[in-house]
Formats: sequence, C-alpha cells, structure tokens
Amino acid sequence: MSQPELVDEIRAARIVASPELRARVLALATAVPPAPPRRRWSARPTALVLVPAAVAIAIAGALVAGLAGSGRTKRAEPAPAAQPFARDATTAREKATGSGAAGSIPATPGRAQRYESELTLKVASLSAATKRALRLTRSYRGYVRSVDYGSGTGRGSAYLVVRVPVGRVQEAIVAFSALGDIVDQHTSIQDVQPTVDRRFRQMQAIRDVIAKLQARLESPALTADERRALEDRLVAQRRRLVVLQKEQAALLREMSFATVSLSLRSARQAAAAPDRPGRIERALDRSGSILLDELKVAVYVLIVGAPLLVLLALSLAGSRLWRRRVDARLLSR
Amino acid sequence: MRVLAEVPSFEAVVERHLDDVHGYLVYLTRDRGAAEDLTAETFEKALRSWRRFDPRRGSARTWLLNLARSTALDHFRAEERRRRRERAYAPERREHEDGVFGGLSPALERALAELSAGEREVIALRILLDLDGEAAARVLGISPTACSTRLSRALKKLEERMSADVAA
Repeated sequence: MSQPELVDEIRAARIVASPELRARVLALATAVPPAPPRRRWSARPTALVLVPAAVAIAIAGALVAGLAGSGRTKRAEPAPAAQPFARDATTAREKATGSGAAGSIPATPGRAQRYESELTLKVASLSAATKRALRLTRSYRGYVRSVDYGSGTGRGSAYLVVRVPVGRVQEAIVAFSALGDIVDQHTSIQDVQPTVDRRFRQMQAIRDVIAKLQARLESPALTADERRALEDRLVAQRRRLVVLQKEQAALLREMSFATVSLSLRSARQAAAAPDRPGRIERALDRSGSILLDELKVAVYVLIVGAPLLVLLALSLAGSRLWRRRVDARLLSR
Repeated sequence: MRVLAEVPSFEAVVERHLDDVHGYLVYLTRDRGAAEDLTAETFEKALRSWRRFDPRRGSARTWLLNLARSTALDHFRAEERRRRRERAYAPERREHEDGVFGGLSPALERALAELSAGEREVIALRILLDLDGEAAARVLGISPTACSTRLSRALKKLEERMSADVAA
C-alpha cells in the first residue's frame, strides 16, 4: 500500500465521539455557564504602550521638576555687617545690587561722622570712566587719595579712593553711579560725635585748670619753689591742651570728608564672566541633569538586573528543554 | 481599522471540535476508554480556562488540541509512574484491541499501533484532522519543517510496516 493510499484510508476513517461522551461534555458546558472570554493583552502591545509611556513620564517629570526648580535662585548671602567701631558709634550699611542710581545714605548735619562708601561699577570704557571720576571728585572739591588703573586685552579694572566733602557726598555718589552699571554698593557711617564731645570736655577741664593755675601764680605770697612747681604744672597742662586741640582738629577735618572707594570694571571683563542664565535655560539645564540621573538609575538597574534576567531566561529555557525531552521520551513509545 | 475576532460560544466549540479532539486523543493513546476520559478532561480544562482563550492568537481547534496534548502528556506521566511502581510486581502486557482507530483495515490498525505516540500524533494532526503544517507545528511545539520531516518519517515507517505485514 502506497503512502497516498494510506493517507486516503486514514482520512476516510473518521473517528466520531460516542453519544455518551458527547452528552458528558455537553453536560459540562451547560451545567456551568462559562464566563465570556475576556480581552487579553499580549506582551508585545503592552510593551509597545508601556515603554514609550515610561519614557514620556520620565521626560515630563524631569521637565516639570526642572521648571519648578528653575524659579528658585541662589542669591549670595550678604556679608555680615561690620562690627561697630565703638560702643557709642552708629553704623549704617547699605548694599544694593543691580543697575540704576545708587541709594546713598545722607550724613547727619551737625554731627561728626565717618562716612565711607564703596561702589563697584561696570563701565563701558574704563579709561573714560576713570578720567570722569577724577574730574567729578575735583568738581565736588574733593581730592584723590589713590588710583590703581590697569587695562589689557579684553579685561581691565581701576580702583580709586577719593575723598569728597561730607556735605556733597550724596551728590557725588549719585554722579559716580552714573558712570556705569552698579554691580555692588556698600555705605558705612560711623558716628564719632561722642568722641568729639568727650575730647571737648577734657579740653574745657584743662582750660579751667590752666585758669586756676594762672590765678594762683598771681599771688605774691608764693615761695620760689611753689611758683616753679605751679609754672611746671601750667606748662604741662598747656601742652596737653595743645595735643588735644590738634587731635580734635584732625578728627573734625577727617570727618568733614567722606571716603569713596570706586571699583571700576570694564564691560568686556564683565562680559567675559558667565552671565546668569535665564529661567528656560536653567529649567532645561536642570531637566537635563534629572534625565541624566534617571538614565544612570536605568543603566544601574540594567547592569544589576541583566545577569539575573539572563539566569532567569536560562533556567526557563533549561526547564522547557528538559520538559520537551521528557515529552519526547513519553511520545516515543 | 483592526477588526476584533469573533468569539464563538463554548457549546458551539464543543459541538464543532469534539470529534477532532477525541480522534486526536485516540491516535495518541490508542486506547478508546482513556481517550474518552481525556477528551472529557480536556473540555473541562477548556471550560475552566475559557476566559483565557483569545481567538486572535489561534483557532479554537488549535487551542483545544494544545489542551488535549497537555492533558495526554500528564496522563502519560501518571501512567509511567504507575507502571514504574507496578513493574516489580507484575510486568505489563499491553495488547492492541481491534477497531480503536475506527474503520481502518486490520493491517493499518496494527501498523499504526506499532508506531510511537509521537508518530501517530503527527499523522492524526496532519492527515486525520487535516491541519496545515504551521498549525500542526504550533500544537507540537516544533518548527513546520520539523513537523513535515516527522510526518514523512512516520508515513514511511507506516508504509514499511504495512509492506512487512503483507509480506508476512
């Protein structure tokens, strides 16, 4: 019998289930109504949805976090205020950052005060600004204490210390601030009037002593030794008075001028310094770093999890192979 | 637009594929009684896992044949364990009963009975049930080429046995 004949005979001899078996199986189906088949998600479409969704969530999360974090700006903490020079001294401090006219604190008229101001300016032309600052100082009847000027290719700075009469210092600071953009400003006022008053009282006391000594020296009843001793004391008091008068005059002269320190930087130098990035740039930068962190975590998980996954896959493949061999052995009988 | 595959009712599936499943199991076990029990067990399993049936992944017949194969293999394992236990006491003597494969000539019945379960299985799938190579290969868990090779060898063996029987 040939193979086609065998095939035909097998095909012709259909095996039909017995009516008992049919009834038995149908009874099963009718006894317990089967639940309707549910839609199953196979792994591939699920992965096709889940993987892009996870990537989109990671990117969106990074962008949102970056945008939320970009609003917070780190501002440099202001330097701690200088300690007062004396217990009775008053120190005012002002610090302003940004462009615009300088906010200067006025000195109190009629009181001796040490007025010091520091201005840092970004100027377009260093040379022109320095010359203008010197001219302004002279125009306010002030003088230059020191100038440190230096310029090179692409960078330059000048440091000037000028003294301006206290009465015109406010006006001068406003004029100086117009030389360029204010980068930093610091004003310090120390009240030295108590020192002036104390020294004045000491001088008055010495004058009283001198007057009394002069009165005693006019007495004819004094012996030669007593007269010599009184004259020595008188000379000493007069010397002390002269010293105090010189100190008082020097202090008042010093207090009549305010010290203004001008730090001028050329705009090119300032341009060389990295500008503070805008909010979008900061948000993108922050998002990028968050995405990088997420990528690091993903790579870490992959590196740590890959050997485990390989082991799992190998064990699954091994068990499947073993089961197939067992099945093949069972079916070979 | 993707068209969702129509899901038939379980009763319709039973009516339509009961003979196929039963015939397959008869060929696999060459035992009518065992095949009937396994058929009932297969449909029980099918009923329990009916919710998992997805017509997009294959036909109901292929799905049922897969279940039947798994049920039969479980049966073979249990039989092997039982035989191992009993072998020491009473050596098994299994004789072929006539008419198991239903309506075949006695020579072909005997020749089929002498084939291995695996060889009868591929004949049942490809010839008796007329499954195409791909569907049969999916049920067997092998490639279509391997399935064709297996069928070819099984038919050649069957032919040889028949020739030997005629010669005898």
